[in-house]
Amino acid sequence: MPPDRALPEAVRAERRAYALFFGALLLVVALCTWGVAFNPFELFGKGDAFWTFLSEDFWPPRIPQREGRLEAILAGIGVTFAMAVASATVAAVLAFLVALFASERVSPFPRLAPLVRGAATFVRNIPALVWAFILFSSLGIGTGVGFVALTLSSLAFLVRAFAETMEDLSQDGLESLLAIGATFPQRVAHGILPSCLGGFVSWYLYSLEVNIRASAVVGMVGGGGIGLVLFSYIKAFNYHVAFFIILLIAALVIAVDWMTGRLRKELAL
Amino acid sequence: MTSAAPAPRIDRFGRIRVAPERRNRAVPVFLVCAALAAVASLVYLDLPWAKLASRAPDLGDVFWKLGHLDFARWELILSATRETVCVAVLSTFYGMLLGLFFGMLAAENVLRVPFLAPIVKACFTFLRAVPTPVWVLLMMVCVGMGPAAGIAGLCVHTTAFFTRAFAQSFEDIPGETLEALEATGVGRVGVFLNAVLPSALARVVAWVGMRLEINVAECAILGMVGAGGVGFVIANGIQNYEYGTAGVAILLVFALAYATERLFVCLKRRLR
Repeated sequence: MPPDRALPEAVRAERRAYALFFGALLLVVALCTWGVAFNPFELFGKGDAFWTFLSEDFWPPRIPQREGRLEAILAGIGVTFAMAVASATVAAVLAFLVALFASERVSPFPRLAPLVRGAATFVRNIPALVWAFILFSSLGIGTGVGFVALTLSSLAFLVRAFAETMEDLSQDGLESLLAIGATFPQRVAHGILPSCLGGFVSWYLYSLEVNIRASAVVGMVGGGGIGLVLFSYIKAFNYHVAFFIILLIAALVIAVDWMTGRLRKELAL
Repeated sequence: MTSAAPAPRIDRFGRIRVAPERRNRAVPVFLVCAALAAVASLVYLDLPWAKLASRAPDLGDVFWKLGHLDFARWELILSATRETVCVAVLSTFYGMLLGLFFGMLAAENVLRVPFLAPIVKACFTFLRAVPTPVWVLLMMVCVGMGPAAGIAGLCVHTTAFFTRAFAQSFEDIPGETLEALEATGVGRVGVFLNAVLPSALARVVAWVGMRLEINVAECAILGMVGAGGVGFVIANGIQNYEYGTAGVAILLVFALAYATERLFVCLKRRLR
């Protein structure tokens, strides 16, 4: 085609790459649609039921009137928030210690570094909820187990994030510290901490944001907190109150996101 | 020779101070506050540590049982995994289409209808703030069990995520490009289709890859809150003490998540 020929080679290569990508995407989507026999127009057919559900069962949000119910909901929000803060912080402290052994450049035992990273990759790629289920079956259900599951998955995530932050560090400083005979703790305190602390705090704030959502979800399967309260209201078909709780969860998540955003700005990360 | 270096500052122990003056003082304050908040949270939660510790040996037992992989029900596991992958891909795809549309509405520089962008953004901030399983649970009430509920529920969160991400990518496009096209008399939708979308395409692809990774993981957990898929096999296996089956399903979830992650790491390297 003449207009295509007029384009430079780089542009044509880019076009080919995008055509390939979107072609592959469409193919995969077609395969998947066939795989689960999903018909998107079926959903439009159910639009009426959907609207009735939203406008009658769901709207308006209702604050439960019965004695003690509202207090239980607010306590649930508190537990979810506390679980997220505690697990993110405990995980960050542990992850800092583990990450020191996960990076070949820093670790005193470089041979073991791939092992530590591999273990972290394994734990990280299994969702927090699966960990929660495994832990529930042995430790019983409750807030404590939810806390352990959240700590475990954010620990694995933060080990990778912290190790990568340390890998990005220029090697010169560490090497010169090594050359003058600095011990391992000295290298960490003077070579790594001063330049990586900002990155660590940034990742910590990110995992706090993730944990707020995750702790609400872990609660739904038995981890306690607001998730459990919401789940019981949904199971009892009490959607007005459920909507009120959903609004509260959204408010909590938005507030925490806003707070971490402000902190990032204040700390100049 | 004039010495350019200032006189070394010597502290009261006679050591030369080399620490940089301009150190961020807010960070230590923040760290102390975070530690205090964590301690306060732990006190508030009042976790039963003794009980947890006494049951810890059971944990090894469960892992031991999970490790005894049982492939007897591999057909069920495979079909559940196929459903999970399909739901993840389809929800990402439809989320992308909706996200492109709403991203256009939410970007300040595309349509420039007064108040439209902030309102759209506020709505999607709310949708994004509610965790995905909640949406899936509600969709199950509306459309019944099955992959449709999973796709629709995941789509809500995915669309909200894409709307914000795409709107940001669109807004990063320099105003000159848009002005130049508008000067030639192209309408606003025309500008979007011919200038904004093509120049944001690389980032759209990157966001789609990132979200697919998240959706695969999200999808694996949907079964645990009552929807279908591989998560249901895991939850069911653990609750019915069929640990071998659950172990296989968990390994499969891990393999799936790991493969997606590797795939996109490789793709990103090649694109760079």
